[in-house]
Amino acid sequence: MQIYIIEAALLVILILITCAVIFCKDILSAAIIYSAFSFCAVLLYLMMGSPDVAFTEAVIGTVSTIFFVASLKKIDRWCK
Amino acid sequence: MRGLVSVMLAVVTAMFCTLVTYLPPIGDVKSAPNQHVTPVYIERSAEDTGSPNIVTGVIIDYRGFDTMWETSVMFLAGLTTVLLLTSNTVGRRKEGEPEDKEAGEVIK
Amino acid sequence: MKEPFGGIILNVAFRMLVPFTIVYGIYVLCLGEYSPGGGFQAGALLSVGVLLARLILGFDTKFNVLGETAVVLAGIGTFLYAFTGWLTIFGGADYFLNYNYMPIKLEPAHEMHALGIFLIEIGVAICVMMTIINLLDGIVKRGEEDGSAE
Repeated sequence: MQIYIIEAALLVILILITCAVIFCKDILSAAIIYSAFSFCAVLLYLMMGSPDVAFTEAVIGTVSTIFFVASLKKIDRWCK
Repeated sequence: MRGLVSVMLAVVTAMFCTLVTYLPPIGDVKSAPNQHVTPVYIERSAEDTGSPNIVTGVIIDYRGFDTMWETSVMFLAGLTTVLLLTSNTVGRRKEGEPEDKEAGEVIK
Repeated sequence: MKEPFGGIILNVAFRMLVPFTIVYGIYVLCLGEYSPGGGFQAGALLSVGVLLARLILGFDTKFNVLGETAVVLAGIGTFLYAFTGWLTIFGGADYFLNYNYMPIKLEPAHEMHALGIFLIEIGVAICVMMTIINLLDGIVKRGEEDGSAE
């Protein structure tokens, strides 16, 4: 029963993080919050019993955050 | 049109949310996907492939041909992205073309 | 990147973190049979070092893989995978990637499977690492050549 409570809490946090990414005006903050999304997804995959997928998600979350920050040098940081 | 799309999205979301309750629980031995080939993989993958990790055994040994084309698809996708991004003509504004106030503001 | 992110804190953190990242990547690559992980994850971990070197130390750093070299090496990584399949065909296999017919005979038979899996994972790791470096190269080069980015 306890595992379901933790899983439900993680799912709610996931939805909240997604809303924060959508409504964030600062693109750098959105990229960093998106890495938090990836971390919550890693925890969820671990709970479902698939460490391979969790590992892939962790590594790809890190690399994609690097990509977002690198492409931020080209564009404006604030969106209207 | 916008209202129609909203109604359709609501209906699809409700369908998915009701379907979730019919899913088997995680790790159920009696569910349909765990009846077909999974017991064979679990029993024989260690002696067949020499790898204690069943996932690696299935991905690279039993399904090695799939993974080969998966790798080449990923290579081709990366190559195409690099070609599109580094070419100087794709997606550029022409010389005399006026700046689009709506879309062109973000890119400096 | 013309002007790197720089800074003394980032430099020191980079120098301390990246060797451990690379050692961990090689560990994941070699132990992909026994633990979670494998070629894809190992390639992504190995590429993090080069990505951070490019962003922090600038594009003229010694610890680097140039863009053209990266494209060629990604192709070579994909070729290694297919080459392992051809090795089994040369050994007389009845279908592609049947590791029981590797040219090097080892006992017991699943040692040959382990050898084939290791070769394939090296190929996948090289391909993924170089593809990620290519993507960063494409993102960063865009807009720097024509002088439109100030």
